[in-house]
Amino acid sequence: MAKIAVRDLRKEFGVGDERVVALENVNLHVEGHVFVSVVGPSGCGKSTLLNILSGIETPSSGTVEITQDEEDAHPGYVFQSSRLLPWRTVMDNLLFVQRNPSSKEARERCQRYLDMVHLGDKGDKYPGELSGGMQQRVGIARAFCIEPDVLFMDEPFSHLDAITARSLRRQLHEMWVETKKTVLFVTHDVGEAVELSNRIMVFAQGGRLIDDITVDLPFPRDPSQDEVAVAKAHVLRKFEELDLVAT
Amino acid sequence: MATATAVPRRRNPVMLIRSPLVARALFPVVVVGVWTLIFYGLESQIFPSPARVLDFMWNEVRLETLARSNVYQTFLLSLIRLFTGFAIAVVVGTVIGLAMGLSKSVDAFFHDWVMATLAMPALVWALFAGLVFGFGSLGPILVTAVTGIPYVIVNVREGVRNTPRELFDMATSFGVPRNRMTRHLLLPSLLPFFFAAVRYGFSIGWKGLVLAEVFASDRGAGWMIKYWYDAHRAYAVIGYAFFFVVFALFLEKFVFDRIYARAFRWRPQAGTVEVVEEAAEPSVQQPTIP
Amino acid sequence: MATTLEEQHLRAPSAEEQRLRAQQRRETQRRWFWRIAGYVTVLGVWELVSGWVLAESLLPGPTRIVRTFPEIVNSGRFFLSFGATLTRIGIGFGLAFIGGAVVGMLAQSRWFSNFFRDAVTIGLTSPGLIWALMGLVIWGFKPQGWIFAIFLATFAIVTVNVAEGIRALPKDLLDMAKAFGTPTLRRQREIVIPHLAPYLFTALRFGFSNGWKITVLTEVFSSNKGIGFEMRVSSQLFQLDVFFTWVLSFFVFALILEKLILQKAERRFFRWREDVSVA
Repeated sequence: MAKIAVRDLRKEFGVGDERVVALENVNLHVEGHVFVSVVGPSGCGKSTLLNILSGIETPSSGTVEITQDEEDAHPGYVFQSSRLLPWRTVMDNLLFVQRNPSSKEARERCQRYLDMVHLGDKGDKYPGELSGGMQQRVGIARAFCIEPDVLFMDEPFSHLDAITARSLRRQLHEMWVETKKTVLFVTHDVGEAVELSNRIMVFAQGGRLIDDITVDLPFPRDPSQDEVAVAKAHVLRKFEELDLVAT
Repeated sequence: MATATAVPRRRNPVMLIRSPLVARALFPVVVVGVWTLIFYGLESQIFPSPARVLDFMWNEVRLETLARSNVYQTFLLSLIRLFTGFAIAVVVGTVIGLAMGLSKSVDAFFHDWVMATLAMPALVWALFAGLVFGFGSLGPILVTAVTGIPYVIVNVREGVRNTPRELFDMATSFGVPRNRMTRHLLLPSLLPFFFAAVRYGFSIGWKGLVLAEVFASDRGAGWMIKYWYDAHRAYAVIGYAFFFVVFALFLEKFVFDRIYARAFRWRPQAGTVEVVEEAAEPSVQQPTIP
Repeated sequence: MATTLEEQHLRAPSAEEQRLRAQQRRETQRRWFWRIAGYVTVLGVWELVSGWVLAESLLPGPTRIVRTFPEIVNSGRFFLSFGATLTRIGIGFGLAFIGGAVVGMLAQSRWFSNFFRDAVTIGLTSPGLIWALMGLVIWGFKPQGWIFAIFLATFAIVTVNVAEGIRALPKDLLDMAKAFGTPTLRRQREIVIPHLAPYLFTALRFGFSNGWKITVLTEVFSSNKGIGFEMRVSSQLFQLDVFFTWVLSFFVFALILEKLILQKAERRFFRWREDVSVA
């Protein structure tokens, strides 16, 4: 079973006047087939958290453990912008992150996940020839096609229009159900978090984890359902109560 | 786009003159017209008519020349010198540029001197090369290299600095091995900068070469135009100047545009990177060509 | 990319902060070390090559040039030559700047942009040498000769920059101003001119850097004063120390004008343009 354990995490940047604390005393523990959202306003350190989890940045103090059955886990990532290599075709982009790109299995696996995001026939296209939504789907296929133990996603739908984002959320949900991954999903959209997750971690300015809410509603969820609306309102109220939204 | 009634394409003269192609074609016509007017207005002994210049060019093209080598030999020799000199510039410039982009120490070591060489007029190198190497091919080739090198350095360095960070982060977080990152990420991302370096370095190298041929050679395009200048043949100087223009346009259109179209198939529109003219501030956002 | 956060005031600098500070300090020190090493190496190699590899009469070393400099200043021709060359740059490039800017403005219209397209390409790609020789063979020592050469060698740079500035005119701001009913004149003053100013400045800087080179070149071929004239005479007399001193003193002067004065001024005037400072 995949496990993410973060203990006493702290991260700061810069010196003197430019010094900022991005994360302060963050503890979290995620395990098994769950979909966890990290929500908070811009600048609450949620992207920093993800950068630390993915090894792009090192923590100032504290520890991070990402394991699969007590061994180092193999994570996959989806970024805010698709981050595809513009000079390589869609298929080559997926192969780029494979352990063994020249093997037949790797190619077949990539094709399978491309099919799963409904882009099976676009393997020979360059990213520049695809729409933004399609590019993001390639990004999602790329994260899944390495068959990761855990998946980290950083606001993957925030650059898309509402309609495209909605259909991608559905696809993502189906893939999560099918593949039983542990997902950590960063977003500033509370509605999106409520729609997708079992658990919502609420971050506030200054990089503090202020609440950890379990959302126990059946899937598929729809914003029009009362329970979903109530859950969303509940999370939003958290921010208001603490007056944490930067004004 | 609802009501697009088919406008009959009538070739009315006013419409015709407004077309972009006609505008472009009109330019040489206007130049020749103004030139002719000046010719008759000036009544000078030296100032040639367009016909006189054209006659000279036509003779040159037909290999009838008063000089000791014809226009083909002349430009071929210059082209060989240009390629040789610029090949040196590309090799040296790429090595130093890469090193400067990758290491801050190397950057600090070379930076000010690269800037100084960049700003140094090719005339100085040309005069100096003439005195040191005498007349021959070595001087012009070295001058081409020296004028091209700082351009290549500055653009390659800029390319290394502007490698897409977020793609590297992506590759790192997916655990992509180093050699694959170099091949599929670093090199392709450098390519546009490298091309910019080659293209504009080449045109700078060409400007350096012709000066060097004036002062450090007794052959080649630069020398030839100076030869006609010394002979006080204005029509020949102007005629040769046109050959220069044709030569440069030929290189641009038939050599660089082709290579460029091939190398950047993945770019839907051929957006280029901006050419860097200064080592210090990569921020000059206007694409200003030397 | 790290998320920016609200600044937090904390009493003592933390361990992390101290570590970062020390690192920054080390880096600055290292950069300066290598910079100085670069100067020492280049000047050292130059000094050694002069006299050992090439005769000192052929390649005078830096010390020699420093010694020759006062001689040139005292010769009385120093300010005369600088003045002559600068006057030519001023007149020739001044005209080219106006001409280039006008063409750049005209390029707003598609027709004119096509009309001048080849002229600009030719202006950018052709060696200044051909303009210099053309101008001089037709007009000789007369001012038209060098004006012609400087004009054709530099106008395209100005045109390209001005056209680029116009192409990038902030349409959204102009529309906003129109929506608020701002009068045309004020729109020009408050939006168009501030927007174009940096482009004009860049044109000035790059144009000058090309302009002084072509000016010196015309002086080498035909003139009886100016930096180019001094260069020709000294190289013909094989006085390379004098030659290099003339060249380098004007070179340093132009570099100071271009890099220190114009570039600093540009940064000062256009501080509001964030993208200028982002490296």
